[in-house]
Amino acid sequence: MANIAAQRIRREFKEVIKSEEVAKCAIKVELLNDSYTELKGEITGPPDTAYEGGTFVLEIKVPETYPFNPPKVRFITKIWHPNISSVTGAICLDILKDQWAAAMTLRTVLLSLQALLSAAEPDDPQDAVVAKQFKENIEMFQMTARHWTNVYAGGPHVNKECDDKIKRLVDMGVEEHQARVALSSYNWDIERATEQLFS
Amino acid sequence: MSSNTTENAKHSAEHPDGDGAGATDEDKKDDRMFECNICLDTARDAVVSMCGHLFCWPCLHQWLETRPNRQVCPVCKAAISKEKVIPLYGRGSTKQEDPREKVPPRPAGQRTEPEPGSTFPGFGFGGDNGFHMSFGIGAFPFGFFTSTFNFGDARPSPAPRGTQQHMEEQFLSKLFLWLAVLFIAWLILA
Repeated sequence: MANIAAQRIRREFKEVIKSEEVAKCAIKVELLNDSYTELKGEITGPPDTAYEGGTFVLEIKVPETYPFNPPKVRFITKIWHPNISSVTGAICLDILKDQWAAAMTLRTVLLSLQALLSAAEPDDPQDAVVAKQFKENIEMFQMTARHWTNVYAGGPHVNKECDDKIKRLVDMGVEEHQARVALSSYNWDIERATEQLFS
Repeated sequence: MSSNTTENAKHSAEHPDGDGAGATDEDKKDDRMFECNICLDTARDAVVSMCGHLFCWPCLHQWLETRPNRQVCPVCKAAISKEKVIPLYGRGSTKQEDPREKVPPRPAGQRTEPEPGSTFPGFGFGGDNGFHMSFGIGAFPFGFFTSTFNFGDARPSPAPRGTQQHMEEQFLSKLFLWLAVLFIAWLILA
């Protein structure tokens, strides 16, 4: 009974490997240790979204009380999304909190996260800055998310304008990621971003 | 390679009666039908919720204990409760091989007895129906008490049919019945 968590993860792991989604390369799970408590997940960005073509790596920690309590999941790959912290990768998704149900599996969690990427919930945000941009300027949000997907998740859409602005800030001695965060937060307005960085 | 094997699997699923390998696939599918939705193992001390989902009783109990104020089915999130699960008794699963501590026993199945025989006993006055009539004259208040407040001690059951005692009881019963009729007639006429 005590070791139900490990046994279940072992079964789920087999299930994920055999699943259709893995055959289509949409999701992937890897073991990080022998005790089945830490895993690495991978999801691809859903088609027709700003995340298309990107591969997002997730950290999955399985608690001892699994499956009665949800696994702890966060994004390792940096991502621009209203429900995912751009700083820590923490995820705001109900099924990873109070809406968890014991019959859910690694496979359904990864598929839910993939669905979250195509359907953001800006009214229940994890990252307030991103959510504000999403609600006020959806095109700016899409562009930023696509740029982040390109830089951090290997997405195909290179945005020359963004790269140039970042380079200008880097030349001023700002760390690249910091420059990207500042520009993203101020709708790529280089003056306001500079002001914020040097104040 | 992997796409090849999935194609094979699809093929055998489409033609389950095709060959030997297909049949074993079917067996495995049958086994999976009886897996607990929580531990993903074959359900032990199986119970089924009103929404039709199968669990081990220890697993489901632990789930209900984990969230006492949000009792929902782990599969479909329908409202469930400990009282409203049905245990499944398969053949040869009646003895509990693994009595677990802490977990309260699985709730028992609810049986309703079939309706008793169609004939309504009583009012027959024939000797065979087991009708008993007793008649006595007692001092009023005491008799009232004894007949009203006869807690506890049940009447002795009638003697089995066909015995000497049964015959005697039937005879006495009829005698008292006629005496009562005569007494009431006398009361009315007098």
